[in-house]
Amino acid sequence: MPKIQLDNLVKRYGNFEVLHGINLEMEENEFTVFVGPSGCGKSTTLRMIAGLESVSDGEIYIDGKPVSGLEPKARDLAMVFQDYALYPHMNVAQNMSFALRLQKAPKSEINAKVKDVAKMLGLTDFLHRKPGELSGGQRQRVAMGRALTRDSSTFLFDEPLSNLDAKLRGQMRAELALMRQKVKKNMIYVTHDQIEAMTLADRIVVMHGGYIQQQGSPEELYKRPVNKFVAGFLGSPPMNFLDAELKDIDGTLCVMGAGFQIALPDGYRSRIPASANGLVTLGIRPSDLTYAPEAEEDQSFDLKVVVSEYIGAQSVLICDCAGQKVEVELKSDTPIALGKQLRFEVNKDAIHLFDRETEAAF
Amino acid sequence: MSASGEKQNPAFYALLVALVVMSVGPIALMLATSFKMNVDIYDESISAFFFTPTIRNYETVLCNVLWYAPEHVDYCDPTFGRALGNSLVIAIVSTALTLVIGCMAAYSLVRFKFMGRDTVSITTLMMRMVPPAVLLVPVFGIWTFQFGLDQSYAGIILVYTAMNLPFVIWILQSFIVQVPIQLEEAARMDGANPMQVFFMVVLPIIKPGLAAAAIFTFRIAWNEFLLANALLGRSTRTVPVTIVNSITEYDIDWGVIMATGMLLAVPPILFTFVASRQIITGMTAGAVKG
Repeated sequence: MPKIQLDNLVKRYGNFEVLHGINLEMEENEFTVFVGPSGCGKSTTLRMIAGLESVSDGEIYIDGKPVSGLEPKARDLAMVFQDYALYPHMNVAQNMSFALRLQKAPKSEINAKVKDVAKMLGLTDFLHRKPGELSGGQRQRVAMGRALTRDSSTFLFDEPLSNLDAKLRGQMRAELALMRQKVKKNMIYVTHDQIEAMTLADRIVVMHGGYIQQQGSPEELYKRPVNKFVAGFLGSPPMNFLDAELKDIDGTLCVMGAGFQIALPDGYRSRIPASANGLVTLGIRPSDLTYAPEAEEDQSFDLKVVVSEYIGAQSVLICDCAGQKVEVELKSDTPIALGKQLRFEVNKDAIHLFDRETEAAF
Repeated sequence: MSASGEKQNPAFYALLVALVVMSVGPIALMLATSFKMNVDIYDESISAFFFTPTIRNYETVLCNVLWYAPEHVDYCDPTFGRALGNSLVIAIVSTALTLVIGCMAAYSLVRFKFMGRDTVSITTLMMRMVPPAVLLVPVFGIWTFQFGLDQSYAGIILVYTAMNLPFVIWILQSFIVQVPIQLEEAARMDGANPMQVFFMVVLPIIKPGLAAAAIFTFRIAWNEFLLANALLGRSTRTVPVTIVNSITEYDIDWGVIMATGMLLAVPPILFTFVASRQIITGMTAGAVKG
């Protein structure tokens, strides 16, 4: 399987630049997920790799060869579109075999391949139906089947699950993960849903405003986000951000703000650059706070619980910390009284600090 | 629509009846007359619809196509058989040509960006607003004296194609706009070249549009009289011209004219039935999330 490389990729529409130089290297057989909010350039990047958008500047290399001047068909890529894009006048089997028929593959081979893929996707009973006679989930499966029947080296997915309802989306996500185990190919997947990104990816590429914010394994990005955007984008419920200041109190580095003062572990001091002015944003994930009435004051927050959102096994408490909102995720059976001031201990190793001006992580 | 049980205004029905009589009446009269002997046609005491029917008129018209020689026909005039053939060739070829050129032109006007695209699109339709009668004299002059295309199939087919193209382009544009661009992108990803995208993905989807355009084009080419009368020669005349030419200063054989008229109506009706079966809505159902 080939490596795909993006070298300083730029996209302009007229004078308006939407991608500002994307550099990325995808390893063989890697499941790469581009994730970011709407308009961040993730779909544009994918479409440029596919050959559906022209490259304004920079180069795309597949297996070391520049491909930005090539037609899509010369790039050996298969793509699954956001809104299926099934050929409405062909039945499922014809839809799935379209690419093979264009390649003039022998009929027996086409039939065998279609049968295989249909079996894998549970479409065997629908091969003779037209797309109009299928449900959303089935259509999505046909769209994937159409990509799978081709022996392409790389699969591109453009928000393939975004049109499905929540339950079906979860189901298809699991099927995709399963398919991922069976089909060892390069996969590039675009989504705005961070859960899809976290569950499917070998490598996540977080994009925002036409720039890559950070790339790495899901765990790496979750635990060590490089800036406030990545920290806030990945994780659900999202990370809490509190305005704070760094202060040296009796030789201990503390982060303090309205309503809290937390002593930082020793390791943090060396991470703070000399240029920092002490104004920071403190980031704490909701799951890194635990209800602990007996905790030390310099390791905990005193929060007033405003709302409790019951999800099932977990509940999300929306709390108030001297005017700033803090969310806490904990087990539903924890005894919590609404409207009371309670003490929550923070997992000190999971404290994130961001420069308030540049938003970069320390 | 009114709810069931609600009383309709009688004037509404009167209007409907009047409209039906206006549209069906002439055809019924033509049909009845085509089965009459000439004596009955001129006899005012014979009712328009109650008479002894005869197929003699049809036998006269079709005498050179029939497998037997009708005994009442002294001289079998081959004009009608030939005219029918001419009409079919001219209408079918010009329809096919119009559709092929029209769908490609419409596609390029919709999908490709080029300078003056909107201008071209609008002027195309404006061409349609020029009445054919205005074109008659210049076309006759140019065809006859410059290109020598008068009295030939090619000449009239070109004129009909040019005449019908604007409307066909215009109608097909609105169909092509509705084809989701993602389908074309999907086909390109599947390895189709631009021609394959057009013929294997776009064309099948706009089939209803093609059918509508085909009916329209065929009907005009089939019925057109003015240009055909001016441009065609004795052996290439179409049916409408032939009918009019059978009115001479010595004899007007109404029975034969009506029979020819009835036969003239058959091919477009058949064609419309076949073509209109392609006009079904929801061609793009299931293509993309709608």
